[in-house]
Amino acid sequence: MTIPMQDLSALRQAVIEGDVPASVTAARAALEGGVQPVDLISQGISPAMAEVGKLFEEGEYFVPELLMAARATKEIFVILRPLLAQAGSKPMAHVVLGTVQGDLHDIGKNLVAAMLEGGGFEVTDLGVDVPPEIFIAAVKKRPVQIVGLSALLTTTMPAMKATIEAFRAAGIREQIKIMVGGAPVTSKYAETIGADGYSETAAASVDLARRLLEVC
Amino acid sequence: MPEELSSTVAQNTLIPAALVAEICPELALAPLDPTELHRYLGYPREGSPAPPMAERIAQVVAEAQLCLRPRGAYAVYPVSSRTAHSLKLGDTTISGNIGEYLKDADRVAVFAVTVGQEISLLSETAAKSGDTFSALVMDAVGSWAAEAAADALMLSVRRHLRDEEELTLRYSPGYCGMEISQQSRLFQLMQAEAVGVRLMPSMLMHPLKSISGLVGLAPKEAVSSYHSPCDLCPRTGCPIRR
Repeated sequence: MTIPMQDLSALRQAVIEGDVPASVTAARAALEGGVQPVDLISQGISPAMAEVGKLFEEGEYFVPELLMAARATKEIFVILRPLLAQAGSKPMAHVVLGTVQGDLHDIGKNLVAAMLEGGGFEVTDLGVDVPPEIFIAAVKKRPVQIVGLSALLTTTMPAMKATIEAFRAAGIREQIKIMVGGAPVTSKYAETIGADGYSETAAASVDLARRLLEVC
Repeated sequence: MPEELSSTVAQNTLIPAALVAEICPELALAPLDPTELHRYLGYPREGSPAPPMAERIAQVVAEAQLCLRPRGAYAVYPVSSRTAHSLKLGDTTISGNIGEYLKDADRVAVFAVTVGQEISLLSETAAKSGDTFSALVMDAVGSWAAEAAADALMLSVRRHLRDEEELTLRYSPGYCGMEISQQSRLFQLMQAEAVGVRLMPSMLMHPLKSISGLVGLAPKEAVSSYHSPCDLCPRTGCPIRR
């Protein structure tokens, strides 16, 4: 069933404004009104987040607004996930994130986690100062499509390389896509250490994750 | 209060080359200006968040401010020798353009401040519960407070200025041509551990919201010609550029 776009305008507006309770209420109302979960995503969440991204690009929105919108979307996905599973939809891609060994900075990594969850990804956040063996254990534990590595210091960036090499040594490098980010990290550095992708901002990490999965 | 945190201004016995060393177990921060905090959150100088967002931010700020434990330590040294690319304090040589930047100072204070680990734990707890927004605001409060603690510590350092002297700008490892590796040299020159600041092998400080650095005591006329350290930095789009 295709629902006219205007039926989801309250939901889109609530997400754009980062109003978490209003977003959840609008989503429940839409589902009770017969909107299918997939339509709620394609005609509610996706256009709303696209608008939020546009406002961010245009300098109207800043990181706090982005985070509130992502939070609203994440809460809607909490409702949608079991419904999508019931309907036999393919589970959402699973991303494992962490700040590499020796580094304690977590804000950038947290922003990426929030944006990915808002984008419909399932995220396992391993925290900060994560040694390679913990990343490896997380990938072995259950299916993971993408691993995200974060570092904020030039002195901790080499731990990204060490982590990627540890995946290779464990024989599971080819099972996953690896994306990297953090203030001192560049796309050139990402390429040098054998990562699959680099994102300059948390907002752009959602697109990067989607691109990486297309070539999985 | 533990014995080692009692405020002392004394000839330092552990670091004898220092003219004076002080441990400040409590620093009084200047009041937080919301527009300054908005800049830490990425808002441009000329723009502020819309009222509903400003109110959401203010609520988190009020909670976060209760967790700040600002404190610091410093030691003042005569400059033993210098080149354009190095500065020798006591027997310790610090490499980098710092020799040039502090060329007018005949004494240099080495300092560290922190606002404690509590604010980072609060931010971490918020992030773990999925409240990344609050985590971000708490982190920004911690960053603002660390700078405010450094400002507060400078009031103590100022007491050692002679007539017609002024403090230079502050310089920290990892900025302004001073490699972050120089951090370990700074830690040899002051008692940062006495206020709970530790240096990790990656040169990162623990607690996270800490600042270490150098500040010169120099003739007023030389200092008045100093520019902002931001003039030396290529990140022209930085939201906290001065």
